[in-house]
Amino acid sequence: MYQYNTDDTAFLVERVDQFEKQLDRHLVGDLDAAKFRSLRLRNGLYMELHAHMLRVAIPYGILNTEQLRALADVADKYDRGFGHFTTRQNIQYNWIELPQIANLLRDLSSVGLHAIQTSGKAMRNITADPFSGLTEDEVEDARPYCELIRRWFNIHPEFSWLPSKFKMAINGAKLDETALQIHDLGLKIVRNDAGELGFASYVGGGLGAAPMVGPEIHPFVPVEDIISYLESVLRIYNLKGRRDNLKRLRIKFLVREHGAAEFAKMVDEDWQHGKDDPALKLNMEELTKLKQDFTLPIESLDLVDFKDTLDINYSIWKTNNVRTHKVAGYSVVNISLTQLGTAPGDATSEQMRMIADLADKYSNSELRTTKRQNLVFPYVRQDQVYALWQELEKSDLASPHNGTLAHVVACPGADYCDLAKAVSIPIAQQVQQRFDDMDKLYDIGPININISGCENSCAHHHISDIGLLGLKKNEQEFYQITLAGETLQETVIGRKLGRSIAGAEVVDAIEDIVNIYLDNREEGENFVDVFKRIGIASFKEKVYG
Amino acid sequence: MVEDSEIISVVNEQGESIELLSVDEWIADIDSNVESGKGVVVTPADDVELLQESLHKIPLIALDFVSFDDGRGYSQATLIRKRWGYSGEIRGINAHLDQLQFMLRSGVNTYDLQEQYQGSNERDYTHGFSICYQVAANNDGMKQKF
Ligand code: SF4
Repeated sequence: MYQYNTDDTAFLVERVDQFEKQLDRHLVGDLDAAKFRSLRLRNGLYMELHAHMLRVAIPYGILNTEQLRALADVADKYDRGFGHFTTRQNIQYNWIELPQIANLLRDLSSVGLHAIQTSGKAMRNITADPFSGLTEDEVEDARPYCELIRRWFNIHPEFSWLPSKFKMAINGAKLDETALQIHDLGLKIVRNDAGELGFASYVGGGLGAAPMVGPEIHPFVPVEDIISYLESVLRIYNLKGRRDNLKRLRIKFLVREHGAAEFAKMVDEDWQHGKDDPALKLNMEELTKLKQDFTLPIESLDLVDFKDTLDINYSIWKTNNVRTHKVAGYSVVNISLTQLGTAPGDATSEQMRMIADLADKYSNSELRTTKRQNLVFPYVRQDQVYALWQELEKSDLASPHNGTLAHVVACPGADYCDLAKAVSIPIAQQVQQRFDDMDKLYDIGPININISGCENSCAHHHISDIGLLGLKKNEQEFYQITLAGETLQETVIGRKLGRSIAGAEVVDAIEDIVNIYLDNREEGENFVDVFKRIGIASFKEKVYG
Repeated sequence: MVEDSEIISVVNEQGESIELLSVDEWIADIDSNVESGKGVVVTPADDVELLQESLHKIPLIALDFVSFDDGRGYSQATLIRKRWGYSGEIRGINAHLDQLQFMLRSGVNTYDLQEQYQGSNERDYTHGFSICYQVAANNDGMKQKF
């Protein structure tokens, strides 16, 4: 697996040293609140009323076990023994003491982890496909490109004080696990007619109060020109993005204002000045080197005589959590951190260490994080999946609910987040209680439910089969339901079902929706297929009728 | 700042006082402005393309970094220095200690701080990073990793 070299580590330490000085100045009143806010957010630090939250990047979602153990140590040493894996492939700690931050960050820098640009008006951690390099028909493994682009945006002198945050996603697979068109900038790796690699570029996607599917602004930027192209996109945004209207800061509003074609033209004009600059060409030697560093650590196995164990619970779990690998003899295994009755994405330090031990034993010491707040073991031998499952079972991490409707993605909501309008986690728990029959869950199959506690949409409810958005009306909690959002094949924002529904009735509504799906489902159809075929009316009628 | 006409002139690197004009004032009468040795002050909202044609006749360009979070000055500096090859003095005015290295790397070469802080070492912020990951107008002395 790719590891940071000494320069990269030195850079992380320089960053911590500088931030420590800024913290000290803030504490003695030598750095005003507004500037300090801007600086601390760029270092991942949120100051809430009662505690401080630190968001640590998991660059493009890949961790080795040494790093996972370091995250567990941080949870014990500086927090209350747990961390929260987010839908954006980061990990958050909720109870950090200010004077400890620099030491915490130093501990992390020794394993190549950091909190650089995990928040604030800057370029953020890249969202990547957790299955990069593992799927048979992918166009190209995105990881080396993610790494090169990650380096480029680190403390970029020109683009570190943008109008708003700027989130990127890069996908090299046929199916889009990254939801790239809901990012400020999405890059899809494609081949042109001549078989050369490049990036189709989408800009201005986003969720929130004004969800938008990012339009394509360039069908094919050659690989070696991607840095100069990104510079032009960011320059146009930096110079022309709205800074006056707090509700219109994101790039999507600039794109909307000018129209995608006009925006594309502005970028293109700027790009003409940069694309032939040799210094802005992607370093192809470095790319080749990274491709080697990211070579899969496994070779195909001949397991023709292997027969997997027959066990009903094991097979149920396996159906929902084990995927085929492009390398013969291997599987990709999903581990859900969402236990019934606990907050989605939370992991105790003990669980982290245990998972690290298992990844050492079964997955070449590597794991990946996903936007469904799962962990993925990328390299499990098929003849060891059963043994892994048994160990996960022992630790309550092989709940057969994983990958079923009971695996709800919920943001922290009103229980933990000051911005929330309504609770998220208790609704997730009620859904799990309502659908507690394994046979039924198995029959329903993998319907996604995502619950956000406010319009900030941290749980990505717009792109879920069933999305819930928390609202407050007359001091009561209500939920707006959206249906059939998707991103895998194409990006579609979920359609609003109708008027919002009171908290006490929302689980009934979900059950109605699931029943309509079951009543109408034809062989092999998933939720979105049924929705497309029968339309929204039947769902409406059942819920409001 | 500039609207209040607080800054009407700066002392350049050679110790001469240079009177500053707005972008509009500059382009209104370039020849006589060149003659009288006037400089230009650019606010974040200004379109620096307007200066491109007469750029090399300007003795000094001051970029106003008045608002900490408004990052347009970094792109303006990059265009002026890196893209158009301006070789004169680019002064960052209302500059912020914590952003000095960003500013200098973008092509600003002199600066006036908006606030002075006792007990902080300016060098920590002009040279806090010794490694850089991207091309810039000025990466002098940095180890370049790209
Ligand atoms: S969606 Fe709203 S309530 Fe939920 S975590 Fe985000 S900001 Fe908080």
